[in-house]
Amino acid sequence: MSRLPPSSTERIDRSRTVGFRWCGRALEGFEGDTVASALWGAGIRTFSRSFEYHRPRGLYDLEGEGSSQLVSIDGVPNQSAGTTPLREGMEVGAQNVRGDPRFDVFGLLDRLDRFMPAGFYYRLFHRPAWAARFFQERMRGLAGLGVLRLDVPDRGARAERYLHADVAVVGGGPAGISAALEAGRLGLRVCLFERRPWLGGHLDWRVRDGRPLAGEVSALAGELERIKSVRVFRHAPVTGIWGENLLTGFQCPGTGSRTDSGTAAAFDETHWECRARAVVVATGSIERPLVFEHNDRPGLMQVDTAIRLARTYGVRPGTAAAFSVGDDLGLEAALDLASLGVDVRVVADARREGHDQALVAALVGAGIDFRRGWAASRVRGRSRMSRVELAARTTTGSGSGATVGSAAGGAGDSLRVACDLLVASAGRQPDIGVLSCAGARFRHGEHTRTFELERLPPDVFAAGGVLRLTDLEALTSSGRIAGLEAAAACGADVAGALARERPRLADLPGPARGSSIVRGPVAERRLAPGRKAFLDFDEDGTWKNAAQSAAYAFDVPELAKRFGNFGLGPGQYRVPGQNLAMAMAEIAGRPVGSFAATTVRPPVIPPSLATLAGPNHDIHKRTPLHDDQALRGAVFRRAGPWLRARYFSADRECLEEIRNVRENVGLLDSSPLGKFRIWGPDALRALQRVYVSDMTRTRPGRCTYSAMCNDTGNIIDDGVVVRTGEDEFYFTTSSNRAGATVEWLRFHTRYDGWDYNLVNLTDAFASINLAGPNARGVLEKITDAELSDEAFPYLGCREIEVGDGVAARCLRLGFVGELSYELHVRASHARYVWDLLWEAGAEYGIRPFGLEAQNCLRAEKGHVIIGTESEQRVTLLDIGMGWLWDREDTASGKVGAAALRYCEGQSGRLKLVGLRVDDPAGDAGGGTARNVAHRPADGALVVDGDRIAGFVCTTRHSETLGWQYGLALVEERLAERGRSLDLYESLGRRTVRSTATVVPPHFHDPKGQRLRIAPEGRPRRSGEAPSQPAPAAHRRSPVRFDAAPARTEHRAGWNVVLDYESDRAPTDVMRQAGLVDLSHRARWDVQNRDIGTVRPFGLDVPARPGEVAVRDGLMINRMNGTQASVWHVGPGAAPAMPDGPHYTDTTDSHCWLALLGDAVPEVLESVTGLDLFEPGRARPFLTQGPVLHVPCQIVTWRADAVLLAFSRGYGQTLVEALLESGRHAGLRPAGERVFTDWIHALEG
Amino acid sequence: MTFRLTCPVCGKRDVYEFTYGGPERGPRPAEADPGSGLEAAVGSDPAVAAEAHFRWAQFRMNRPEPQEEWWHHGAGCGVWFSTWRDPATNREAPPGGAEAGGHEAGGRDSS
Repeated sequence: MSRLPPSSTERIDRSRTVGFRWCGRALEGFEGDTVASALWGAGIRTFSRSFEYHRPRGLYDLEGEGSSQLVSIDGVPNQSAGTTPLREGMEVGAQNVRGDPRFDVFGLLDRLDRFMPAGFYYRLFHRPAWAARFFQERMRGLAGLGVLRLDVPDRGARAERYLHADVAVVGGGPAGISAALEAGRLGLRVCLFERRPWLGGHLDWRVRDGRPLAGEVSALAGELERIKSVRVFRHAPVTGIWGENLLTGFQCPGTGSRTDSGTAAAFDETHWECRARAVVVATGSIERPLVFEHNDRPGLMQVDTAIRLARTYGVRPGTAAAFSVGDDLGLEAALDLASLGVDVRVVADARREGHDQALVAALVGAGIDFRRGWAASRVRGRSRMSRVELAARTTTGSGSGATVGSAAGGAGDSLRVACDLLVASAGRQPDIGVLSCAGARFRHGEHTRTFELERLPPDVFAAGGVLRLTDLEALTSSGRIAGLEAAAACGADVAGALARERPRLADLPGPARGSSIVRGPVAERRLAPGRKAFLDFDEDGTWKNAAQSAAYAFDVPELAKRFGNFGLGPGQYRVPGQNLAMAMAEIAGRPVGSFAATTVRPPVIPPSLATLAGPNHDIHKRTPLHDDQALRGAVFRRAGPWLRARYFSADRECLEEIRNVRENVGLLDSSPLGKFRIWGPDALRALQRVYVSDMTRTRPGRCTYSAMCNDTGNIIDDGVVVRTGEDEFYFTTSSNRAGATVEWLRFHTRYDGWDYNLVNLTDAFASINLAGPNARGVLEKITDAELSDEAFPYLGCREIEVGDGVAARCLRLGFVGELSYELHVRASHARYVWDLLWEAGAEYGIRPFGLEAQNCLRAEKGHVIIGTESEQRVTLLDIGMGWLWDREDTASGKVGAAALRYCEGQSGRLKLVGLRVDDPAGDAGGGTARNVAHRPADGALVVDGDRIAGFVCTTRHSETLGWQYGLALVEERLAERGRSLDLYESLGRRTVRSTATVVPPHFHDPKGQRLRIAPEGRPRRSGEAPSQPAPAAHRRSPVRFDAAPARTEHRAGWNVVLDYESDRAPTDVMRQAGLVDLSHRARWDVQNRDIGTVRPFGLDVPARPGEVAVRDGLMINRMNGTQASVWHVGPGAAPAMPDGPHYTDTTDSHCWLALLGDAVPEVLESVTGLDLFEPGRARPFLTQGPVLHVPCQIVTWRADAVLLAFSRGYGQTLVEALLESGRHAGLRPAGERVFTDWIHALEG
Repeated sequence: MTFRLTCPVCGKRDVYEFTYGGPERGPRPAEADPGSGLEAAVGSDPAVAAEAHFRWAQFRMNRPEPQEEWWHHGAGCGVWFSTWRDPATNREAPPGGAEAGGHEAGGRDSS
């Protein structure tokens, strides 16, 4: 290994070697190395082959500025070698290489460049037509970067972190640190993001006159670390700034953040977002490459790369070096490398004047050949550099496009130097990436010769090197000013401090003068110059390509960027950025100032896609009957937010499930059905507004079926409404609409000021559908209620008690076309009632059925499902449900009524019809025999002549009917009974035609007798079951922890876990974080227009939304103008719910959790972007917003105690996601005692 | 693209917590039914009333200038409110001639 002697600036631990493999070869580096420094230290010179020409590429930069240093690591492509820490056992591979990186088979492409001019892939290979595809496939095989291997699983742990700051600082160099300090000293919340694993910026590795400069900022950095309101994130690149100062980025843990665990694997990355009131951008400057022939050869590197290899990693960048630089930092680096024992043979400086004379004197004093106004013109050698040609720049011309005479060695104005290292740089350019993303504007400045900041977006400030300041005092002073300005934007009074600091900066050295060179001296050559002079390494964009772009009139940087592919690669603006504008200026003969800087787009630094995808928790709702259905073989499918049982056997036609419902009795879990309580003086008017029927006719004890339309008359929802009191109703919606129902009602009454209250009880009540001829026989075994047709007719609704006195609202409906009862019971009681029904139905052979069976059953009956038999062109009238519409009512302003009236008489609309699929073999003879015709798929097209005239909504084979039936939407003229329809569908590459006949869309029991009068079912298997007392009712929480309970307690039907085995030492839980399930505790919803007049439990409702009061063991949260919720947090039994319509028991609506312990803020920061710990807010307070995308009510009680309530259905999956996301902070399940102890300590 | 909206109940929040209810366009025009006598309110021609309703329900001007619009804080407190916003910049704008701040128009459901 070619390592230099240890130096004080290095960040490797030479006592710990790290073994890794490079293209199969075993190599070694040190702890603290990056992959790039370890490779270079081990003598590897070629890292990859280039995108287009397969040219060998080595280590040009250490910051991920381009694709040259991208490698594959453990099978994962496009990893930045320069920024990825080396870890034991890494498999590192070269990219875009066939064979060995040094002898790539496709290296000959480099000689074919004349056949690949700029934009050739846009212009060539278009004729004949097949050529484009043919060549595209060939080219894709040859060009590109890494290869994605699908056989390599993603092994990284992905996390998210949502941060809140008053001031966010991008960049941890001298300016950034100073800015953060100023804001932090004022007590503001500050987040500083530094992309390298340490602070200090370029001072970290610079050594001047034998003195490391890191000391200049280490004291400031130390102070920063001690301020409590300041958080420093290292190895945390910023990827972009978005609207209203939302910063995004990622962090590679294990490299020095305060919270890192130190055990992170190579691919662990945390995505973070930081919402800041003000931002300071101190991203410093980056190098501007010098463009000359073969300026991409391995062995050519940036000034910073050479010096960092030596000073940070102790790696000898080369043995014999030439320098071609454009600023004083380059001269300083040459001196420093020489002092470390590198043989520096020549230092060419493109500038003719303006040098730091002390550095020049030192160079000359060290015996180094120093040449003013010279620059590199060509590199010799392929995979390893052998020689560099340098030449004097001519004095004529605008910039650099000068020619030199013969390239004879060493004569006059040119020079050949044998070396293996060329440190080349044209100068420096501000790193404008993050600022550009934020929306800053730039203009080319004559003094700095860079794109200078012209205009900043609101509340964004810039400091330091990005303003082209170089003087250390000036850097820190500009940082202080930016920090103070940012503080002022947050409302701090800093006018005095600003008034003192600004004149100080004005007296310090201003922005450095920049160099104008972009291209090295050009020798007279046979071939066109610029062929191998690269402006962009990522996509092999040469000077010649730029000239070609200009010749095609793509002659401004934004156009050349796209046509010639400059800056479209992973490095984006960094390598070509400013050079592209300067090159286009030179080629087009225009001033650089006439061009705009090309826009930088996020991600400024690319994270992996897996990091952007995040932990990707599968969060969905589960019904209270999920676990039991799973045990009974349910196959679940997502339906909206819910996971629902679709099948109960491998038979996807569900013939057994269907037959069982038609002939016997089945059970369906229909809990996702929307369920609502509405009350108040204007409740009826609100229903009249959204339902198309006359809702004044709703009666207690009777279900009124109706539908909702939107403003264009499309049917969007249907359900039943039951009057439950004078001004009170209970109504159901389809499962898909449940989430939008409250929103819909409120929206369509928003101008009316009506007084009504709504409670969503969808999750609070489970719904169990008991259907089939034997349904009554089963139900009467678990209830004493009268179930005869007279006492409880079709469309009746009764409040009954089942089993051990459990209340159930029972609706006699018939969606599946059979006698059926829908039992709405408290979600916590659902499993108890479900088990009762199974037991009662055992003698009938009761079976479950799923959504697919229900779909067939209802289609046979001709009942529509909204969204299946309706779409945006289809009105209520078109699907034959116009009878629901109360067309006389114009006073209620029914939503959709105007549209219905408008299209009432229209012709040519789509109409819903029934289909009987024609069977070419004739009816196979009734019963269970299958007809042999192909069954057209759902969605098959109805074709009339040469026009599409509708589509098939649903088709199924019916055992009941003995033929294939379906429902279709067809143009009105085809809708007459007996009409034959042509159906077409695509099966792979084939188009399949079938035919069907139009029939009325009611196949099974068209008169509905089976719904109204209980038909004779299969007799009970045995005699009357012996009457035995029902088992004791129990209630269940939606959450089940994967932990062993140590102590439990029965409380009002609930089985409450007091301790888990893991809580044995509760102090440990509080030192980290515990998750307590409090779902068994009572909660009530309180709503009233004048909520101040309601005093629930004799307590005052807090005056403003978000306020929380705690008294007598009850917590009252004010939610909005008309609503509050009361949570029982105290010891003992919960009080009874007070009488009055304002109160709704919502214990079963929610899953209620407590998060306790010191790490609670850290846990919540990784699951929600809400600012739950805003300083200065009186606690406890209520926040309503999303946690892992689930709407929650969150009470911040203290920093170590947060309560969380959300829809019950999400309980299990959200808890699992919380535990996973909080694992890094030690989050674990805990028993209720941890909560009661905490409360007790609070009171004590 | 990301921006924030000021909910009258919850304060400034990410736009992802809200659903859009369209620009403010006033209450639904009264429906005219021949024979109900209502047509007098909107003109004697039912076709004009239908046209008025049609324009109200379907037409959006989409001008790049500040407009009053409706938002629903679905992931939060659940209220509908109206606010002024400039679609050209996505920033909230000072109310153009209307009273300041969003106003709340309904409560949240309980789940």
